[in-house]
Amino acid sequence: MAAYLGEFEQHLLLVILRLGSEAFGSNIARELETQAGRKVSRGALYATLDRLERKGLVRWKPEPGGSARGGLPRRAYAVSAGGRAALAESRDRLRRLWRGVEHLLKGPVS
Amino acid sequence: MKQPPPWADWLLRHTLPTGVDGDTIRGDLIEELEARGPWWYWRQTLSLAIRYGWRRKHDREGHTMAFDNLWQDARYAIRGYLKAPAFTLVVLTTLALGIGASTAIFSLVNGILLRPLPFADPDRLVFADEVKTDGDHMSVSWPNFLDWRARQHVFVSLAASRSELQMLTGRDQPRRLLGRRVTGNFFSTLDVAMASGRSFSDADDRPGASPAAIVSTQFWKNDLGSAPDVLGKAIVLNGVAHTIVGVLPPDFKYGQPYSVFVPMGAVAADRDLLDRGNHEGYFGLGRLKPGVTLEAAERELRAIAADLQRQYPNTNSGVGVEAELLLSRTVSQVRLTLYVLLGAVGFLLLIACANVANLLIARGTARQHELAVRAALGGARRRLASQLLVESTIVSLAGGAIGLAVAAALLRLLVRFAPEGTPRIDDVGLDGMALLFAFAAASACGIAFGAFPAFQASSITGQQVVVRGRSGGASARSHRVRRGLMIVEVALALVLLTGAGLMMRTLQQLTRVDAGFRPDHLLTVRASLAGPHWDQRPPRAAFYDQLLTRLGAIPGVQRAGIASRLPIDGSDWNSIFIVSGKPIPPRAELPSSAFTPASTGYLEALGTRLVRGRLLDSRDTAASPSTIVVNETLARKMWPGEDPIGQQLKQGWPEWKTPWRQVVGVVADVKFEGLAEPTPMQVYLPIAQAPPSDFAIAVRTAGDPQAVRTAVEAAVHALDRDIPTYSVRTMEQLVESSTARERMSALVLVVFAAVALLLASIGLYGVVSHGVTERTHEIGVRMALGAETAHVLRLVVGHGLATTMVGIGIGLAGALALSRAIQGLLFGVSATDPLTLGAVISVLMGVAIVACYLPARRAIRLDPTLALRSE
Repeated sequence: MAAYLGEFEQHLLLVILRLGSEAFGSNIARELETQAGRKVSRGALYATLDRLERKGLVRWKPEPGGSARGGLPRRAYAVSAGGRAALAESRDRLRRLWRGVEHLLKGPVS
Repeated sequence: MKQPPPWADWLLRHTLPTGVDGDTIRGDLIEELEARGPWWYWRQTLSLAIRYGWRRKHDREGHTMAFDNLWQDARYAIRGYLKAPAFTLVVLTTLALGIGASTAIFSLVNGILLRPLPFADPDRLVFADEVKTDGDHMSVSWPNFLDWRARQHVFVSLAASRSELQMLTGRDQPRRLLGRRVTGNFFSTLDVAMASGRSFSDADDRPGASPAAIVSTQFWKNDLGSAPDVLGKAIVLNGVAHTIVGVLPPDFKYGQPYSVFVPMGAVAADRDLLDRGNHEGYFGLGRLKPGVTLEAAERELRAIAADLQRQYPNTNSGVGVEAELLLSRTVSQVRLTLYVLLGAVGFLLLIACANVANLLIARGTARQHELAVRAALGGARRRLASQLLVESTIVSLAGGAIGLAVAAALLRLLVRFAPEGTPRIDDVGLDGMALLFAFAAASACGIAFGAFPAFQASSITGQQVVVRGRSGGASARSHRVRRGLMIVEVALALVLLTGAGLMMRTLQQLTRVDAGFRPDHLLTVRASLAGPHWDQRPPRAAFYDQLLTRLGAIPGVQRAGIASRLPIDGSDWNSIFIVSGKPIPPRAELPSSAFTPASTGYLEALGTRLVRGRLLDSRDTAASPSTIVVNETLARKMWPGEDPIGQQLKQGWPEWKTPWRQVVGVVADVKFEGLAEPTPMQVYLPIAQAPPSDFAIAVRTAGDPQAVRTAVEAAVHALDRDIPTYSVRTMEQLVESSTARERMSALVLVVFAAVALLLASIGLYGVVSHGVTERTHEIGVRMALGAETAHVLRLVVGHGLATTMVGIGIGLAGALALSRAIQGLLFGVSATDPLTLGAVISVLMGVAIVACYLPARRAIRLDPTLALRSE
């Protein structure tokens, strides 16, 4: 069984997948803001990315940066095979839990 | 590329991992800096610093453990404190009070006594005045000063100055200004450059020099509307137009907040000033040459004074010199008070520390089991000890932080209610030094009282405690230490209580002083007749005559009088005199008295008791024979056993042509220089015969004296609208302000002593109560075997009281040893006053009995069966 993922970890993995070859640190943060409506400090962002890396779910390689970042390199993230498996498992787990509950949300929310 | 905020960048470089790991993160921030701004950059930096702060240390393996452990200990400690809110509250309150009070007092001491004066090389500024053989200080006679200046070789420059009220007129409202008359080299001696314009020079000191003035920046802003073209403009001071030649820098301050400085030129040819026998209020101010010590300078001034004594025996016999650093002179009147308060607050801090130590030891003992289990499970001793140290450091730092807030509030109160005229009080603030002091005190506390439980924990062998259960062998020792701390606390509290008690007795004695007049229902107003118009006596005498009539006509005024000065406020005319028909003593031993010109009705308005003869009345005019009324002290000293009425005395040196004055009455002694000072000899002479230029009005009213305030001031202004009135106070306010310093120190000491007493009783209660818990088993056995309640009570209370008594004994010795230090602040009571000491001991014993009885009551209510089962 693949690693259990927290919600924020799932969001990160999804965003990296969506961004594809554009999955640089700043883009990930911006995508989280626009798509998930989630503002996140850089401290939390990189700490979580580092954790995912330690779990072997993502990996990154440095790419040269332009003059806009003072010539400093940037991280290009990619989701590993293990990360994909973990995401899939999370999704399936959620689907199972959702089964038979969907109609309850359609009524008036008390 | 936009440059990141340098400090944020520095922080990032020191917290993020090195190499590409960190560079990529910094690059991301820099890339977005342009769009998001520096504020955002800072926030992200802090969030990253928090996340990566500890991890960075992974680079150096050795430190990692220590840091991680520290972090863990800190979190564990905070959780522990939050779980015991009552304990935490008591500890923090104790610390905050101790640290807060000591920081506030330290700030006060630092701002007033320690901080250097705001001049270049302040350690080389020397204050010099003249002293009589009996040690009484007096101002420097002007001709003597000129000789000092001509003959000395120790000062780069030597200046003189005196404080002089200046009446500012020729504007909408006449105003009294704090002013100072200074020699031309005064500002160059202080090494102060003008903000604009020029300083004074020797030319300004020559007779006939055109009147010049230098004004403070505050005066220039507030009274001259910051006019840019102020130089060369004239202001009218004491009726004379003075040209403003300079404006002082904004931070200039010499003692009081003087508004205006004037040079010597206007008075340089004054006959009184040039008389060597007159001491007209000037003081010397010198700047030492490099390498010259204060002692060397004083030696030289003394040698000059000795020469002057030989040269001018008539005026200078018995006149010596004293020199001290300017700072020390500035603060001389408050130094003792502040040091006593500093000592008191030091004791308070010690008590607070002892109390917190007590509490922490109690907690440590209660946790021995936990610690022992941890030790048994393999916890390293050093780790356990370090955890306890971290715990106590955290609590003391938190206490220090709260204490700082307490200090700020307390200091604001102290400054606000500081006695009028406290030097440099405006310079007092919570400064960096005080901050440092608070945290030094806090961490010293932390390490000090962390040491014991830590030491104890490190000595426990797990086996010992786990096997023996909760009452381990180390607890007897901890109990001994706690008793030792209690003894210290009681002793310190006793010293503080004694100090507070003595100050209270002093206040009580001061209120009992017979001031020689009735201070109730009296309004006093001061004013000055300044300017060329008032130079001659007749217009002044006529003015007082008319004013008296007007004052008497005010509805509600029962009696009105005018004199040169008021009681309590001090005299400004002290003079030697001789008595007719008696041998004239050597010049150095001529008697001296306060001379007060007073109008008809003045002594009646004050309510001064007539002892013999008559008071001054309408018979005493400018043309009538010279008459005087003297006080009892003078009559007793000059004519012991004789009838003073009809005797004669003469003010001034024996060869002076002053008139012989006949005593027509004797009145009770009136306190002249404040309630605590001994009454000087006093002479009242008819105001018409010596009309002063500064005067004071005293009116006795039927109702509230404040009600006639406007009418009294209006009476003055009806005669001359250019005469500013000032210091409008009731006599009760005046008397009160004369004891302000005593009341202030008494108040602070009483508050400190009350806190000390509270802390000591909490501590005592804690120790005795803990003792009861420890001995629950023993007490149970005793009671099961039929011990009487009274016996158990005696056992428990007696134990606590024995501790208290040892503390009282030590404290008593301490109080007696320190009695000399506080004696200078006391009045009418000895520092070893048995009444005060008795009362203090009773209070302490009373509190101790209550603190011991409460836990003892718990002991006697124990159900023996429950007690035995407590194992």
